[in-house]
Amino acid sequence: MGWLENRTVRLVGTSPAIATALEAQGARLVDAGDCDILVHVIAPPVDRAAHEMRYEEWRATLDAGLDRRFALARDFAIERRTAGMGGAVIFIGAPEQALGSDHAAAAGALGNLTKTLGVEWARDGIRVNAVLTFAQTPTLGNVVAYLASDYAAYVTGAVIGIGLDD
Amino acid sequence: MPVPAHHRVAMPPPFAQPPYPDDIFAGQTVLVTGGGSGMGLAMAMAFAQGGAQVAVVGRNIDRAQQGAAQIAELGVATHPIACDVRHPAQVAAAFDEAERVLGPVSLLANNAGANFPVLAEDISNNAWNAVTRIAIDGTFLCSTEFARRRIARGEGGAIVINSAQYIWTGFPGDAHSAAAKTAQATMVHKLARDWAGHGIRVNAVAAGFFPHETSNAGRREAGIEALQAMIPAGRTGSIHEFGWLSAMTATPLFAGMTGQVIVQDGGESLRRSLMMPDFIPPRERAEGPWGWR
Repeated sequence: MGWLENRTVRLVGTSPAIATALEAQGARLVDAGDCDILVHVIAPPVDRAAHEMRYEEWRATLDAGLDRRFALARDFAIERRTAGMGGAVIFIGAPEQALGSDHAAAAGALGNLTKTLGVEWARDGIRVNAVLTFAQTPTLGNVVAYLASDYAAYVTGAVIGIGLDD
Repeated sequence: MPVPAHHRVAMPPPFAQPPYPDDIFAGQTVLVTGGGSGMGLAMAMAFAQGGAQVAVVGRNIDRAQQGAAQIAELGVATHPIACDVRHPAQVAAAFDEAERVLGPVSLLANNAGANFPVLAEDISNNAWNAVTRIAIDGTFLCSTEFARRRIARGEGGAIVINSAQYIWTGFPGDAHSAAAKTAQATMVHKLARDWAGHGIRVNAVAAGFFPHETSNAGRREAGIEALQAMIPAGRTGSIHEFGWLSAMTATPLFAGMTGQVIVQDGGESLRRSLMMPDFIPPRERAEGPWGWR
């Protein structure tokens, strides 16, 4: 019996490790529409010194790493609440200090957003957690599947890493 | 105030449905400090559900024996050992005994701790030393004893530490434990780095309120009902979900995880408003330093 039997997951972004683990635990991946769980992965931006970064590059990192994540999570939570259902949101990205100042800003903002949304939506039964890591391993997939499952029912607003350098 | 009926409260699966198969720790022995009761017992039970043999270490041998008997009902070999984790010789002797009876210890759960509400100015040197050294020195001594043995065998292993949800915020009314539990969390990353090359992983679970028979919250006269509503998740934690997460960090499922502190507190440690209740210094709280008596 998998951790995510009968659950649908919308996986935004690319992570074979996460997709494999979610499906191995019985989840069904869906592209859009209603889903029980939202998992959001971003590709790491290029590591560039701030003074050599064009504003468009800066803005693109913040768009992908923060703004679009917030909008998707907000819309997901509204859907779940309207449907009278709980849910889970998991954000995945690189560690805060791993790359340039653009990523540092986006990932830091995302971490505190995670804590905030975790509390705002706690009584909707919607949990929000983040994994900031370099890992693209089976462990990352299993950690995300765990956070998506009822086994993590008491984990919300948590920001965690996986490996030593996270 | 009860949790309103229209709020949704996320619940874990029941104890009989652990998140891993019953042989995931087969052939391994876990040593659990303070494993005879409370959160240590929950850790021990979770390891046992994965098939680990359990050495139950405690200062009080009666309590360790009771815990060991309870764990044995899950069908694994157990062995109770009397040990004060503040003393290196006792720690070494406990590992010797565990390995003689059960076999090599490849998993370690550092749980031993003490805690009670008290104003900082009322903490005696003895009380300070007891609370801080059981957690800080005890975790160091048990972890290093464990690691030396694993390194000598040329085998890896996993350590999990029971930390607490108040480690990043301070805990007024509990200065000794505030210091002690954060030390455990901050040593996780360095221990993990020291032993990564030896295949020994080190992680911690920073646990929120998991009331149980031997916890201060569990002994609360009015019971734990009133504690449910104060937590964003709408409930206190079920002790088996804490045990599971602790054991999970030691499974092959999380083989790549090390140096991490996972907060499992239903959002309890997070700020819930910009505006806070009127500040009352702990010494002026009519209901005591923790403010809930």
